[in-house]
Amino acid sequence: MNWTWFHRFGSAPYMYGFAQRWTPWFGGAALLLMLLGLYGGLVLAPPDYQQKDAYRIIYVHAPVASLSLMIYTAMAVAAAVGLIWRMKVAHAAAAASAPIGAWITVATLVTGSLWGKPMWGAYWVWDPRLTSELFLLFLYFGYMGLRAAIEDPQKADKASAVLAIVGVVNVPIIKYSVNWWNSLHQPATRLLGKADMVWSMVWPLLTMFLAFMLFFAAVLLIRLRAELLRRERGASWVREVLS
Amino acid sequence: MSEFFAMSGYGTYIWWSYGIGFGIVVLNVVLARRALADAKLQARRRLEMSK
Repeated sequence: MNWTWFHRFGSAPYMYGFAQRWTPWFGGAALLLMLLGLYGGLVLAPPDYQQKDAYRIIYVHAPVASLSLMIYTAMAVAAAVGLIWRMKVAHAAAAASAPIGAWITVATLVTGSLWGKPMWGAYWVWDPRLTSELFLLFLYFGYMGLRAAIEDPQKADKASAVLAIVGVVNVPIIKYSVNWWNSLHQPATRLLGKADMVWSMVWPLLTMFLAFMLFFAAVLLIRLRAELLRRERGASWVREVLS
Repeated sequence: MSEFFAMSGYGTYIWWSYGIGFGIVVLNVVLARRALADAKLQARRRLEMSK
């Protein structure tokens, strides 16, 4: 297998240029798909037979919820790559992911509680799904706090990477909490094959999933550039990029 | 039209969740761009100092 791509991504100037080129494409596609998903989810999809229109919160809540787990997993993988191959760009990517992940987790908790109130009668319950998702937010905070507390960037990279990797056990706990324990939270909706919803409800949701992933890619690439500039301030490629 | 916004009585919950959800999306774009502008400024200052 040819590993040159892996080494290329490990180079800060290459990654900076890559991020610069791809951000508008990811961002533009995310915006278009979000508008399409909004129209499909709010206008075209029919109301649910039980939840009426309240179920439409799914079009924001489910994509941000799955993204909050995906970002954490991506952050842990990047941190592990950084630790194993001593790759600075990977550590930078992990560091750049954390604040986005924390915000998306906040969005998950808020949109979820706005769905919980009309359906369960409470904004918050100490349910396994909700509690483990709240813990995810604390993991993001812990990761960022640890980085901020250690002045030496290399030591901060290593220590925070270990925390990110250990914390990844929480991801399957969140995902399967609705199956493992008695939860007030509804289980995952089947979207394909023997689906729980009609197609006119499903496609806007799939569109939103994709839109939010592309949004993450775009914002991550912007933050990654900031992180690379901060780390490599003295390097000659920075001079070239900024001139 | 008002029926659309009422969302069979769940309008308040729906519009708040969409507002906050997409508000956080926009905020993340703004914060990321600000972080990049800030990093560029710092890097430029440092380059000028080293001249």
